[in-house]
Amino acid sequence: MAESTPFLEIDGVSKWFEDERGGPPTQVIDDISISIVKNDFVIFVGPSGCGKTTLMRICGGLESATLGEVRLDGEKVTGPDRKKGVVFQSYSSFPWLNVLKNVEFGLKFRTDVNKKQKREIARHYLDLVGLTDFENFYVSRISGGMRQRLAIARTLAADPDVLLMDEPFGALDAQNREFLQVQLLDIRHKEKKTIIFVTHDVEEAIFLGERIFVFSARPARILEEIVVADHLPKEHDLAVKETQDFFHLRNKLLAITRAEAQRTEEIFIEGATAES
Amino acid sequence: MTIPPPTRSGPRERLRETARELVRFRGKTSRSTNLSLAILSFAILIALWTAISESGLVREIYMPSPLRVSVAMYTLFVDFNFLHDVSISIFRVMAAFALAAAMAIPLGIIMSSFRIFGAMQEPVIDLIRYLPVPALVPLTVIWLGIGETSKIALLWMGTFFQLILLIADGARRVPNEYVEICYTLGARSRQVLRWIILPAQLPTMVDNLRITLGWCWSYVIIAEIVAANEGIGHVIWISRRFGKTPEVLAGVLTIGIIGLASDQVIRYIHRRCFRYMS
Repeated sequence: MAESTPFLEIDGVSKWFEDERGGPPTQVIDDISISIVKNDFVIFVGPSGCGKTTLMRICGGLESATLGEVRLDGEKVTGPDRKKGVVFQSYSSFPWLNVLKNVEFGLKFRTDVNKKQKREIARHYLDLVGLTDFENFYVSRISGGMRQRLAIARTLAADPDVLLMDEPFGALDAQNREFLQVQLLDIRHKEKKTIIFVTHDVEEAIFLGERIFVFSARPARILEEIVVADHLPKEHDLAVKETQDFFHLRNKLLAITRAEAQRTEEIFIEGATAES
Repeated sequence: MTIPPPTRSGPRERLRETARELVRFRGKTSRSTNLSLAILSFAILIALWTAISESGLVREIYMPSPLRVSVAMYTLFVDFNFLHDVSISIFRVMAAFALAAAMAIPLGIIMSSFRIFGAMQEPVIDLIRYLPVPALVPLTVIWLGIGETSKIALLWMGTFFQLILLIADGARRVPNEYVEICYTLGARSRQVLRWIILPAQLPTMVDNLRITLGWCWSYVIIAEIVAANEGIGHVIWISRRFGKTPEVLAGVLTIGIIGLASDQVIRYIHRRCFRYMS
């Protein structure tokens, strides 16, 4: 497949949420079109509550678009399935299973591999995320960072076409978060995957992504598309965060997202006064 | 090399420490301390009881001493085949409870999962749930007579409608993330129910079963007092008619002991099976 053929196409997607009490629907996404090629690492960055997660969920078939559609490999996305793997911020792994069984759960509904292969694949991904020594631990006994690594291993074990990550490191402390960012780049180096990664952390976006889409306040539109390779070296490690280029890009993105966060606040205040 | 914890001072110091923890807000105590305190409070209760009935302040017909009650319990078991009545009551509770659980678990999960069932059943069940069980006794007698079926039906009505709502609530509380993860791993709805909803709410379910089993025990006594020829409730009621207060108390205590024992068994199972929660 040529590098430029779109693999995941977001085509004119708009989304309104119905008001449960019968009020007017709220628009959260306003006519977004994005085309993503295979093995692209795409970041959705924007203020909290802007609709970036909703767009990611539409890509995963977890929510439907009011207008427009999403196509994965030419096929319209109509619901969740094994082609679209997700990693959430919390409740990302199952507490009643141990670490190994959690990863094996990712293979439970696969019919293309037998039982023995399933265990091998599970062990492979446990090793990839560095959790081999913890395979008999229950989720309650491992740290928050390990739980997210476990979730990534389980999702990869299902062999999805696209990996959707919804602020997966959002609940971690700063050190752990940085550590997992490095690990994610490392994992991606070994396992080529198409990734959509949602975050409100600008530094995280620049460090991880290949293309960054900056979202406006609600209803979400794309304000800016940034190809990170135009600004930073393609292969980089944590040291890149100390460079001038990184700093400039960070300030540029922060300026946009700050203004949008401000607008989001105003939208909420307006909504509150309109209701009272 | 592991460094041993600093040696604490003697037993007196430790006792003082325990005492401090006992009165501190949300203090921490060891299991052995808890157990000794539980035994102590039973001992105090029995001592008080003995003191009151032995002092002659209360007539024996109202409050016989623990010794008299123990003797009564002994004679009930040895001379009056009380074990038979106990087994009958246990059988009634277990049969009704098993039936209620076997129906409430699948129906509760379905009710919480599909709005068509939830929206239709919930208001009806909520209404039935508030009907007091003793008020249903005449109805069960009219419908089913005074045989075993009528008693089991009464217990079933008392537990099923409570349990189904508790199960539905437990299923609803399973985080949506688990469900969505399961779908994105390629599962179908039925597989999500089997592999997510069921195991995720299992600890809560066992807790709810334990609580409703306790209620079942109060209903069996009601059923047996109103219309029965055997069972613990029947024995209590007959003893009352002949003014045998020690036997009445012996019967009541038997229920308490059975209840405590079954509760502890389920708690133990809960601890063993759901270690991952701690």
